[in-house]
Order: sequence, then structure tokens, then C-alpha cells
Amino acid sequence: MALPPTIPTSFIPHAASAAPRRFRSDLTGAFAYFAYGVLTIVVMLALGVFSYDRILAASQTAKDKEIKKAQENIDSATVEQFVRLRDRLSESETLLAGHPAFSGFFAALEKILPATVRFSTLRLSQGNAGTATVEGSGIAKSFNALAAASDVFAKDGRIKNAVFSDINVNKDSSVSFALSATLDPGLFAFGIPSPAAANAPLATSSARASPEATQGTAPLP
Amino acid sequence: MNNRILPTLALVVAVGIFFAYVNPTWSGSIAAAKVQIDDDNKALEAARDYEKRQHELASARNAIDPADLTRLVVFLPDSVDNVGLILDLNALTARSGLSLASIDVSADTVSGAGAPASEGLPSSEMDLAGSIDLSLSAIGTYAALQTFLAGVERSARLLDVREIVVNGSDTGVYTYQMTLRLYWLR
Repeated sequence: MALPPTIPTSFIPHAASAAPRRFRSDLTGAFAYFAYGVLTIVVMLALGVFSYDRILAASQTAKDKEIKKAQENIDSATVEQFVRLRDRLSESETLLAGHPAFSGFFAALEKILPATVRFSTLRLSQGNAGTATVEGSGIAKSFNALAAASDVFAKDGRIKNAVFSDINVNKDSSVSFALSATLDPGLFAFGIPSPAAANAPLATSSARASPEATQGTAPLP
Repeated sequence: MNNRILPTLALVVAVGIFFAYVNPTWSGSIAAAKVQIDDDNKALEAARDYEKRQHELASARNAIDPADLTRLVVFLPDSVDNVGLILDLNALTARSGLSLASIDVSADTVSGAGAPASEGLPSSEMDLAGSIDLSLSAIGTYAALQTFLAGVERSARLLDVREIVVNGSDTGVYTYQMTLRLYWLR
């Protein structure tokens, strides 16, 4: 005879429910996996960081040694030699560019100055800005001779701003004068070919020389 | 209950390791070491560049004739040595036919060679060379002056004629006052 399903088959009671307990057990297991997994990762990370730190320290030590060796290879005396040589070359070039050669002026003056005009004093000076000036005094045979000299300077162009002053007519009709002018840099620059210096003496005489006094060197025509 | 304690402890240990060692080490000593290594690499690169440049300069210097280098040192010496120069000038005047009357160092010494001190251009380039002026007076013919001037202008040591004053005489023997500027590398 079949029992109705509502009547229990045994007097031993069944467990209340097996599913919730299994769920709780699974959750604990997952948390354990997660925790151990995190611990494993962190431990591996720590080992990696430790190793990386050691590698970097070793690399830094090696590079420090390399730098020290490179520093030892730098010879300060050699560096100083190079610096001095560079300075010497550059300064020499600069100074040589401004090196004056007044022999070029004298050679040019001998060539262009009329024989009827002579200087008794002459002062050449180079300014700090690379310019040069000439100042002097002299005697010309006549006004025409002085005009010819002025014309020659103007035409030549290298003796610039020539100003004749203190012009006085002497008893013998000669004309004494003073001159101031500036020189073209090409006239006294070193390295620029200048006309060969003549052996004829520059017609200079004493500042207060009379025409007779000048005859000792180059007599006025 | 015990099943939960150990994982929790593991998690706590993991967090502790991370914050007590991994993170401080990464952002501390490792970061500093990386920066230091970068600096070292730059320094080593500079050292390699220096070595390369040194070899280039040495090659360039070796390509210059040693005699030319010697001439360059004579041209712009390391010291003033005005006494030696005065002796040389004395010899030059004698060879030229001039009679040296006096020679002396001018009182005002120019410090910068590239430009006058009065122009007031303070530049290290200009202070590389020092200069002083020598004033001398001599007597002689115009031909002797020409020879002397040519000798000074082509002197092995750089000498600039800054000023010449010529005064004539009745005899064809003139009086000259000159100012010469000599240079040296500081």
C-alpha cells in the first residue's frame, strides 16, 4: 500500500538546507584564493623590485667607475694647451688685421707729393678705432705748388680730409703751411701691397727751418 | 572560522609588503637610481664627445707645422718680456743705421688689446691679450727709418707702430720719436 507523499518515510529529520552551506563554503574558498593570489603577486613584485634595485645599483656603480675613469683620462694640461692655442690664434688674427704698416704711407707720399712741396715735421698716429691721422708742417715753393699738393691729395683719395692751415707767405715767396688729414686704412694696412719704397729721402727738415736749411736734404726747386 | 583567518592574514601581509617595501623602494631608491643613471649616461656621453673632440683638436694641431707653432708663440708670447724686446729693437736700430737715443715703457699701459680701455667694452675676448707701449727716440737718415720701419712691421713678434714723429735737420739726419705697442697673451 502506497503512502501518501505528505507522510514522512523516517522519523529522522532531514537537514534544514544543504545549498546555503555550500554557497558559504564556496565564498570562503574564493576569498582564500584571492588572498593567496594577491600575496603571491605582491611577493613576486617585491622580489622583482628587490632584483631591479640591485641591478640598478650595480649599473650605477659601474657607470660611476666609468665616469671616474673618463675624468682621469681628461688631461687638464692638454685642455689648457688647446685653449691657449685657440686664444693665440684668434687674438693673433685680430691683432694682425689691425697691424699698421706706415711704410706704405711714406712710399705713397714720396710718389704723389710734388717735388715743390716738402714737410719739415710729420706726425703719424694710429687711433684706437683703427683710423690714422697725419699732421705736419712744411714749405711749398709757391701757392700754386701748395694747390697742386692739395689737388694731388684730393685725386689720390687715400689721404682724406686734408686741411691746409697756417698758410704764410715767406720773404722768398715760398709758402709755409700746416696739414692735418686722415688716412685711408688701405694706405697703412699691413699685407696690402704698397708701392716699393723709394730710396729718396723724405724731404723733411726742422720745424723752424728756413728754405736754406732744407737744401741739405732735398732742395726746393 | 579558521578558513577565513589565514586568507585574511595573507591579504594583510600582502598589503603590508606592498606599502612597506614595494612602493617605497620603487618610488624611492629605484627612482633616484634611475635619475642618477640618466645623469651618468649624459656625463658619459659628454665624456665621449670630449674624447672625440680632443682627438680632432689633436689631429688639427698635429697638422700644423711645429715651426709655425713656434713662430706663433714668438708672434704673441706668453709674457711681456719687454727687456728682450728692447734688446731686439736696439739690434734692429743698429742694423738699420739708426742711432737709438732712448727707449722706455710708456706710463699708461693698455690692458685690452682688441679695443682701447677708453671705449669701455668689457669683454673677456678683449682681455686675452695685454699690451704696453714703448716710446723710443732715434736719429738717422730717412733710408734708415725705412729699413727700421720695415723691420718693425715684419717683426717676428707683433709690434704696432702707434705714432711716428719726424723732425728734420739741416744735415739729412732726422730725429724720430716713435711709440710702439707690443702684445702678449695673458
